[in-house]
Amino acid sequence: MEFLTFLLILWAAWLVWRRPERERLAFGLLVASSLLMALLFLIGTHTSFVPGVNL
Amino acid sequence: MTALAPDRLRTALAWVVIALIAIPVGGAVVLWVAHGDTPCILCWSQRTSMILIALVGLFVLRYGPRPRYLGMAVLLGTWGVFMALRHSALHLARDVGQGFAAPIFGVHTHVWSWFIHWIVLAVIGVLLLLMRGGFGEWGTRNTGRTGRIAFALFVVVVGANALQAIVTTGPPPFIGQADPVRFSLNPRHWVWMMEELEGRVSLRGSWTIPQPNPEAADPDPTHGPLAPLPSLPVLAWERIGLPLTGKLTDLSRDPASGRFLAVTDRYGMYVLDSTLSRVQHRVVLDPGYSIDLSPLAGAAFLTGDTLALLATNKSYVLLRPDPQADPDREWRHFLETDGGITELRRSRFATVRARQMYVLSLAFDAAADELIAVAVPSPRHRRLVVSRFAGGDLLLASEFEPRLGAGLSPIGPERSAAEYVVTGAVVADGLLYAMSAAYSTLLVIDLQNTTVRGAYAVPGLLHPTGLAARGAQLLVAQADGRVAVVERPVR
Repeated sequence: MEFLTFLLILWAAWLVWRRPERERLAFGLLVASSLLMALLFLIGTHTSFVPGVNL
Repeated sequence: MTALAPDRLRTALAWVVIALIAIPVGGAVVLWVAHGDTPCILCWSQRTSMILIALVGLFVLRYGPRPRYLGMAVLLGTWGVFMALRHSALHLARDVGQGFAAPIFGVHTHVWSWFIHWIVLAVIGVLLLLMRGGFGEWGTRNTGRTGRIAFALFVVVVGANALQAIVTTGPPPFIGQADPVRFSLNPRHWVWMMEELEGRVSLRGSWTIPQPNPEAADPDPTHGPLAPLPSLPVLAWERIGLPLTGKLTDLSRDPASGRFLAVTDRYGMYVLDSTLSRVQHRVVLDPGYSIDLSPLAGAAFLTGDTLALLATNKSYVLLRPDPQADPDREWRHFLETDGGITELRRSRFATVRARQMYVLSLAFDAAADELIAVAVPSPRHRRLVVSRFAGGDLLLASEFEPRLGAGLSPIGPERSAAEYVVTGAVVADGLLYAMSAAYSTLLVIDLQNTTVRGAYAVPGLLHPTGLAARGAQLLVAQADGRVAVVERPVR
């Protein structure tokens, strides 16, 4: 899934660089890849979402 | 502060993007190529977060500082700080030099991640301070030469990361690993898995420990985990003959003077005479001063007239009767005092096997000069752990989970001595006597060979909270202030 995240990011960067008129799509890809990144982190920490220390 | 013109600000931002992509993210690529370094699933997310922040920078280079870009950058920065803290918390408390993967300039990558995300937030603040005018539309701008370098570097570095990701974590739906292996171009060494999806969802994981509640324990000895046990009948009942602040949570007896030491769940400490009817000293501790105290659960006389009190969270307090006690100095320690007690020390016991477990008892082994606490089980940690602390420095001296001795066995495969909830403990003749509120059972533990050499049912108890020795007798204190007298078994 990390690979997919990077593909989305590359796509967004390419649009911003070469197709700046597609800003809405590029920003959507930025948001989607951010959510995917956050989801993967939450998967990795789902057995203890908060730090394993005294709170 | 002098504001910068948009062109100069854009150039500065381009250099920030270049630095973010080249140093931490590009450095990770170098580690991959040169050393075969592979990120774990948490590292991947933090690296991705840095890349996304750089991508937001490219948006600003192209379209100007629109509010939603700045919002994304701040959100990614704060999320990145949280991710780094969550990741670092796994390793920060380890011993010197230990961490996850190799350190860089003496600092592990998960800590670098925290520093970088924190710097990102600081840089956003600085750039906003330097920005002239508001968030007006810049339109689609030429990004300039530095901006083009930033775009090109971004594509190259992210492309390299994509290549590393497809090899080390695989195509969707595979995800990164908790413990990755070093990079290899040999497909037979590739590890594509989804093990990180396994496990119960939890907010705090193994730190989900409820406060101990011995009153909820089943007092019936016949329901206990061990095969039918011999009984110790209650020979007599005594009673603490005065009102206490709170419920009694432990009772200790000084073998030299016959005095008693009692503590309550509302931080009361009482030194009582040998008849349990007259108060010699009394204080109510301030539980919130500096080192926090959860309710007191253990008490013991140490050598030199020192009194040791233990809270359920293993914070302890050492007190001493002192006719010269300074009332102004002790004001900070006590909410109430009779004026004859000085606090010597307040700190915390650290354990290994009993970590993440509460305690409800304290004993003192005078022969070994050690304090002893017995941990109580929780749904997350079902263990019976005896922790011994050196009287000199009050650090952990040894720890063990007692084995069942000859003649003692669980009544079924799912039952074990870890079900006992020890609320009182005392050492006598080299043996640790531990009274369990669960199943009203007295355990006799040999401290030399760390074995439960005897177990006895004590019918008729209701919420035992403390245990003291008086010659050939044991005194089982209850929360209601009554004290059961039983014969002290010698095996």
